[in-house]
Amino acid sequence: MAERKQWKWAADPSLNKMEFTKLEKDGLDVIETIVNTYSKEGVSSIESSDMDRFKWAGIYQQRPKNGHFMMRVRIPGGILSSEQARVLANIAEDCGRDLVDVTTRQAVQFHWLTVESLADIFDRLASAGLSSFEACGDCPRQIMGNPLAGIDPHEVLDTRPIVAELEKFFLLNRDFSNLPRKYKISLSANIHNAAHAQINDLAFTPAKKVIAGEEVIGFHVWVGGGLSAKPYLAKQLDVFVRPEEVVKVAAGVTTLFRDFGYRQKRTHARLKFLVADWGPEKFKEQLMELIGELEPGGIDLTSGWNGGYFYGIHEQRQAGLYYAGLSVPVGRMNAGELTELARLADEYGDGTIGTCNTQNVLIRNIPEAKVAAFRNEPMIVNRFKLQPNTFVGYAVSCTGTEYCNLAIVETKERMRSLAQFLDDTVVLETPLRIHMIGCPNSCGQRQIADIGLQGSLVKTSNGMVEAFDIYVGGTLEEPQFNRKLNARITVDRLGPFLAQLITLYKADRQEGEPYWRYVERVGLSHIQAQVDSILQPA
Amino acid sequence: MAEETESYLYKLEAVLEEGRLLTVVVIAKTDERAFTSAENNLLRHTIVPPRIKEMSLVEKKPFGRQGVGYVVETSTFT
Repeated sequence: MAERKQWKWAADPSLNKMEFTKLEKDGLDVIETIVNTYSKEGVSSIESSDMDRFKWAGIYQQRPKNGHFMMRVRIPGGILSSEQARVLANIAEDCGRDLVDVTTRQAVQFHWLTVESLADIFDRLASAGLSSFEACGDCPRQIMGNPLAGIDPHEVLDTRPIVAELEKFFLLNRDFSNLPRKYKISLSANIHNAAHAQINDLAFTPAKKVIAGEEVIGFHVWVGGGLSAKPYLAKQLDVFVRPEEVVKVAAGVTTLFRDFGYRQKRTHARLKFLVADWGPEKFKEQLMELIGELEPGGIDLTSGWNGGYFYGIHEQRQAGLYYAGLSVPVGRMNAGELTELARLADEYGDGTIGTCNTQNVLIRNIPEAKVAAFRNEPMIVNRFKLQPNTFVGYAVSCTGTEYCNLAIVETKERMRSLAQFLDDTVVLETPLRIHMIGCPNSCGQRQIADIGLQGSLVKTSNGMVEAFDIYVGGTLEEPQFNRKLNARITVDRLGPFLAQLITLYKADRQEGEPYWRYVERVGLSHIQAQVDSILQPA
Repeated sequence: MAEETESYLYKLEAVLEEGRLLTVVVIAKTDERAFTSAENNLLRHTIVPPRIKEMSLVEKKPFGRQGVGYVVETSTFT
């Protein structure tokens, strides 16, 4: 066990219980205990306090709590190699009942792991340069990025080296392994906000500034974003950060969170609460007091929002090379399919695969001469489509009751079949993003969806029936969270209800008007009237 | 390791036929028992049994954690 840090907040008697757990034994120390003890002595040997610390190893107990675990693996910036993909596929096949999920933060998740398998999985991941460590817990988690970094015609800078530096700096860094709460970083130089800056604790977005007569490409900085039950959009600091300053600034922001963040109540601990109290001006002053002066903000280079979607074959920054954005319905695949993706990446691309925050994937660096054959690959034609149907293609789902202890309803298969129903029922040529979540927490990022569906259970004469509350109008284009309608729709009516609601939008929208903008234009009361008319008894 | 013995703090919503919305918070080990407990609490809360139009379970949190709870928004108090 590493030497214990003497944190300045340790003497505070008002700390929440989890803080004492973290002070007693750092979250990262559980990794050694898992390897040396729990993986050998089995699930009954796990101390209850260590069960909380399992998150620092990237592991949660899954539902039902009968000795199986979920593991999240970091994919920094959402780019992995075919070799890494094969290692992930083998782990899923050998230990995780053949299941691989791509998450809304570009990570990969396994289910059904036993504690006996964990040490071996850590080794397998390490052998491929991967890690599950700090993918969960009160620490810097998976770093979100642009999965097209280095090849993106819409990026102003190749961010791969910066993401790698951030990963190297933060991963297993005991200066930052005891933060007040979870901490999410996003960095992208894509001008269409590919990494969802405003919903991360710390985000870097592309910017430029003339300094000493020379135009410098760098970043603007956002702090305090997050979803969960109390969503909050990140606030921009009036600073301009050169690429070589990113790690210094990230360390500074994280230090402020560590030292000034709130540790009395876990429900009031995320960085957003400190940012809301301080405001961006004071936050900037404190940051500069810590790390030195920074340039004032420059010109923002972000233009709109692509939603994190990259479907189809597209030209890269490099002439003659293409990338392929593929649909993975609700992010779920099996080991064989991931292995097949690795083959496609090797055979057609340069062996790299991108994971998207929309739970999809992409293949990078396909020479023009190979594009036609790639399009005809059975996996591309039948499964991971280049141009999925509208609803399947823009559906996002959390894990749901299948594995999550907090979920109230099933979501993964429900969202997939709902999207299929809508594709069979409504012809809509433009994207409409539907996110389904199984509880008020926000793993499926319900708040930023055009239409968000949040699960509940309704008691009927036939027993308990799953139902969904409806939220409309979320976007990060002109950032705003979606708003709740007065409607709780049971699952048997959900498909037809949404089909009617979307048909009304289709008839009423202006040319090219996305659903969130339509909601903004006609107003929530108009949408509520539509809902009431649909639900009116015949 | 025992299976699913954890208790949860449940939040349910009862829409009465008269139009009122009541929030009921109960501890239970399963979703089914949460509904039963909520109905029992509603009965205990009233002289004339409320005519429930719709009862929904909207959230659950592990009960083992100190301080777990819900904020229930009601009307404005002036």
